[in-house]
Amino acid sequence: MSLWRDIRGTILPFWVTLRYLFRRPVTVCYPERKQTPAPRYRGRLVLTRDPDGEERCVACHLCSAACPVDCISMQAAEREDGRRHAAWFRINFSRCIFCGLCTEACPTLALQMTSEYELASRELLQVIYEKDELLIDGCGKNDGYNFYRLAGIGVAAPRGSNPGETPPVDFRSNLP
Amino acid sequence: MNDVLLTFILIVIKLGLVLGTVLSLAAYMVLAERKILGRMQMRHGPNRVGPFGLLQPLADLIKLLCKEDLIPERADRWVFMLAPAISTVTALLAFAVIPFAAPLHLFGRTIPMVVCDLNVGLLYLFALSSLAVYGVALGGWASQSKYALLGGLRAMAQMISYELAMGLAIVPVVMASKSFSLTAIVAAQQPWPNAIRHPLAFLIFVIAIMAESKRTPFDMPEAENELVAGFHTEYSGMRFGMFFVGEYLNLIVLGAMLTVLFLGGWHGPLLPSVCWFLIKVLGVAFFFIWVRGTMPRLRYDQLMAFGWKILVPLGLLNILVTAAWLLWRG
Amino acid sequence: MPTLIIDNQTVTVPEGTNVLEAAKRLGIEIPHFCHHEALGSVGACRLCAVEFREGPVKGIQMSCMVPAKDGMVVDTGSAEVLAYRAQVIEWLMTNHPHDCPVCDEGGECQLQDMTVAGGHGIRRYTGPKRTYQNQNLGPFIAHEMNRCIQCYRCVRTYQDYCGGTDFGVLGSRQRLYFGRFSDGPLESPFAGNLIDVCPTGVLTDKTYRFKSRIWDLQEAPSICPHCSLGCAVTPGARYRQLQRRRARTNNRTNGHFICDRGRFGYGYANHPDRPRYPLLGHRRVTWQEALAALQNKLQELGELFGPGSIGLLTSSRATLETQFLTKRWAAALGSDQLCFEAHPGRDLGARVAASQRLDRTASLEDVRNCDLAVLIGADPLSEAPMLALALRQAARRGARIVVVDPRPVELPLAYERHAVSVEKLGQLLRGLSRPQQSEFPSSMEELGGSLASALLAAKSPLLIGGTDLLGPQGTEAMQQAAEACSQPETPCRTMFLLAGPNSFGGALLSAEGPCFSSLLEGMEQGRIKALLCFEADPLADYPDRKRSRAALARLDMLAVFDCAATATLQEADLFFPTTAVEESTGTLINNEGRMQAFEQVFSAGTPLAESAGGSHPPRFFSRDIPGSEPQSAWGILGALMGRSADLLTLRSEIEKNDHRFAGLSQLEARGEGRRIAAPRQYSLSHQPNISGIMGSDQLQLLVTETLYGSELLSNLSSCLHESTPSAFVMLHPQDAARFKLEEGKKVLLGTPVGDLTLTLRIAGDMVPGMAIVPRLRGTVLEPLVPGTEPLPCRIEKA
Repeated sequence: MSLWRDIRGTILPFWVTLRYLFRRPVTVCYPERKQTPAPRYRGRLVLTRDPDGEERCVACHLCSAACPVDCISMQAAEREDGRRHAAWFRINFSRCIFCGLCTEACPTLALQMTSEYELASRELLQVIYEKDELLIDGCGKNDGYNFYRLAGIGVAAPRGSNPGETPPVDFRSNLP
Repeated sequence: MNDVLLTFILIVIKLGLVLGTVLSLAAYMVLAERKILGRMQMRHGPNRVGPFGLLQPLADLIKLLCKEDLIPERADRWVFMLAPAISTVTALLAFAVIPFAAPLHLFGRTIPMVVCDLNVGLLYLFALSSLAVYGVALGGWASQSKYALLGGLRAMAQMISYELAMGLAIVPVVMASKSFSLTAIVAAQQPWPNAIRHPLAFLIFVIAIMAESKRTPFDMPEAENELVAGFHTEYSGMRFGMFFVGEYLNLIVLGAMLTVLFLGGWHGPLLPSVCWFLIKVLGVAFFFIWVRGTMPRLRYDQLMAFGWKILVPLGLLNILVTAAWLLWRG
Repeated sequence: MPTLIIDNQTVTVPEGTNVLEAAKRLGIEIPHFCHHEALGSVGACRLCAVEFREGPVKGIQMSCMVPAKDGMVVDTGSAEVLAYRAQVIEWLMTNHPHDCPVCDEGGECQLQDMTVAGGHGIRRYTGPKRTYQNQNLGPFIAHEMNRCIQCYRCVRTYQDYCGGTDFGVLGSRQRLYFGRFSDGPLESPFAGNLIDVCPTGVLTDKTYRFKSRIWDLQEAPSICPHCSLGCAVTPGARYRQLQRRRARTNNRTNGHFICDRGRFGYGYANHPDRPRYPLLGHRRVTWQEALAALQNKLQELGELFGPGSIGLLTSSRATLETQFLTKRWAAALGSDQLCFEAHPGRDLGARVAASQRLDRTASLEDVRNCDLAVLIGADPLSEAPMLALALRQAARRGARIVVVDPRPVELPLAYERHAVSVEKLGQLLRGLSRPQQSEFPSSMEELGGSLASALLAAKSPLLIGGTDLLGPQGTEAMQQAAEACSQPETPCRTMFLLAGPNSFGGALLSAEGPCFSSLLEGMEQGRIKALLCFEADPLADYPDRKRSRAALARLDMLAVFDCAATATLQEADLFFPTTAVEESTGTLINNEGRMQAFEQVFSAGTPLAESAGGSHPPRFFSRDIPGSEPQSAWGILGALMGRSADLLTLRSEIEKNDHRFAGLSQLEARGEGRRIAAPRQYSLSHQPNISGIMGSDQLQLLVTETLYGSELLSNLSSCLHESTPSAFVMLHPQDAARFKLEEGKKVLLGTPVGDLTLTLRIAGDMVPGMAIVPRLRGTVLEPLVPGTEPLPCRIEKA
């Protein structure tokens, strides 16, 4: 009984491969025909802006810490209004493995993945993207989110005027 | 004098024919394998160079020739450089004794369609297929790399084990046809080919030559996920290419051997004999590719156990039964 | 010695230890915010709750508030305790602004760690969050009050430990505010410690603001090079830029804290003018060319004028390894013209200080534990700031602190001060060295007598002297005084403030060698043709700049090995860039003879921020790192002497060569350092008396150090510039009245280096008859060097 099963198990796969030999290939001929990736496809990274049009990235270094191949580097800086932003922000797409850990780490939803996947280049430096190439003019996938309106340190709105905050305490008064 | 010269010229012509056909066949075998495997896996396979990727072998050749030829610093230089040549040349030499068509009667002469019709052609064939292991073993040893060495050792052990089963599978064929000459063996397969007359020997022989050619499911010497690329890990450029070509030449040689010994050689209805020979060889080659597309790799201990504990005893039994039958038949 | 069981492990601890610290001894870390080893416990944060199962107390208690007692059985991780802590974290987080991405504490934040550890992931509280306005606390500290969890660590550090008065807690109940009453820079020179103690991001380093995250920093145990105390620090660097310094714990020296000079003086390593290439006559050359030029010149001079024509000079900034190899090289060259400090007074002072018996030498730990400290001619806040902090801890335990000084010395603690002129300091010390005979100078009998009896009566008395003001003779007198005031049970220890981080090492190595004055004489007479300066700046450090400039100008060759653009570098024929402390390894010996090794934090190179011009890193590939040419001074010396540049071999050689450095090769940068095995033998009688005699009715000019602006390296740190005072002169009100001068007005000070226009400050608690100017590099006061006898001067309206 077991021998019969073994013989069947040896012969049947031949039948399967033979049938598949005459099926239509599922792969497409890439440069001539391009497939539309799914919305959650993990393609090239972009830096998005918040609904007010400001840069979302606060250069917190979490993406570069999460990156398993160390392809993200940046330097944080402070703007006059106290907003923390990236003085420069570089992603080396020749190293990037498109794992998406950086976008999961991003606390301000600034770093998002797009469906752009045609990044190959003969010139290595062409796939090293600087901030101006990464920064786009929209919110990307999360329309309404604005980190500075939820973090209560008074950058986007004066201190104590974000939703769910009381006005600043007058510490010189001991009255309740 | 004139006769000798004519024979010599004929041999040279046959040699050229055989060499040209076999080498281009080997090159296109690579393409065919990639194409067929691709389709079996619902891919297109190579289709970029030329129509349907037909110029792919040429592109591969140019690429391999242009690649940097690396020799590892600690390698045994001469052996390292010689090894790929051994494996290619032994495969090519094997064609010398293979009859690829019925003898041609031309201008009153009978021209045997074999480069050299040795009366011990079968032994010659065996000798060469044993020699082929030197290419692999030396290449693995000379590379000074653990993966290559392991690959070479595996190849050696595997070849010695399956050579035995292969030899035992041929004995009944020789007993039945009473000759070592391949032409005689082919001639003896009328009307029924040996595959039908000696089915067990045929089965053992098919399995054994698959192992001899180091192809899936017996490709332990170059098991990618264990040994990087086995014995040719350290090879690059055309030296790697020679190993590669050698493998496909071997595929054709073995196909030809199977055709000659078991599938009735050039015999067949309607079509010219050389066509039948080619059809049979290509059919065997397709079968090998099909097996590669279907079967997973064995474990090393399974391989050795199968060879020694099943194939060899079966082969011996087969000889015994055939001998008894022949004796009974008188 | 109570014995208790914590998490099924038995531990015996000294009486008075609390349960939290007892658990720490077992390696069990109970989470906490408000408890700090140096500050003690207040039980404010409620996080260190543990469950007491058996013993005098039962139930859930704060482990930091419960002293360990016999028979206690403690469970630090029971389900109830964990639930309690999770709730504590949750309520601490109710008002938190959730701005970790833009907070500099992120990654090294205790609140962040505890929130993650406590499992508080989603905010359940939906009520409004309390907010505050921030304050501008000056150039060092950024304030973000919304992040506060009211642990009180900052107030306890600033007011209790550091003695600051302008930062505290205001408001009440849920509205507590930690800050100043109004905006303004924090006054305490130890304010930077608030950065280290704050467990969240309320008080962060402004100079490091938004520069890096801790996981990107290169850090290694190092030693602060800005004074002679040798405090343990952890510098952090990224992108070839030294970005901050943190305090490291060494209980023998600095404890847990450091001063602001040490914390913010790191900028010298990144200074844009720092010379980073070998120079041959102000032309950039390769290392090979520069070294060949040096070797050739030395050979030529040696053949022409003999080996004595080569002078070698190192400084208190050089590591022990550099000093040792310089000495070796001098011996190999055959030259005896070797000196370890360009300032003769400081040189001899250090040599005397280094001859003190080791059991009479006090460490900062001894200072913290003393019950009487008499500071004679020492101004801790200017010369060695962490000493002031150590004295404050002694004063908090009830010690009596007496300051005898001509300057208006200020300390962040309650102390007695006596304004005494410079000459009388020596006389007082000589009187103290014969306490029974009461031979004190006139008008000082009362003070001298009371000091003598107090020193004899105290349990652990301490004499602290600044070698700058005391001079070699005064230093020796203080040693004799300490000897005389010692009793077998209660030895009187001494601590001397020296010029630099490795003055002590140089003093040990210099033996009876010449001081720089005699080298200058040699140069003036033409005997010395070449001077090699290893991390030394003779032009700025020798008190008489005219003389040193003239002498250096006569040299055939002046070779400078340094990491900073010094005055001497401008005159150098050959220059070799050396590494900063943070860029190499080495050993420094602090003012109590403690050998302390430091490790390399990062490799030298032009900071990326500078080489990239403020933008992104350059878009090209290159093997070369810009500005990476500096090498350690001992490495260059090794190359010049043709020996291997292996630090361990070198240290073993130093150890073998000189038994006083025993244990050097086993020294670990993370440890507490190791005292030298024996003091040097030294007696002043061999040296000429360098003290001069002053006219009595003439105004005397005293040059002193200041907290910021005097020390070479920290003065190159741009973040300290805002706190550095502009040039001023201090006068006693009597003298101001005598010369009819007003506070804050410009005055003209006539000094040996010329007439200087300065702002007048009036200080009531200084000695009359004296004008005090600070040494401020980069101002008109730069040529005036402390550590000399008072100079004659005159003062008038500008």
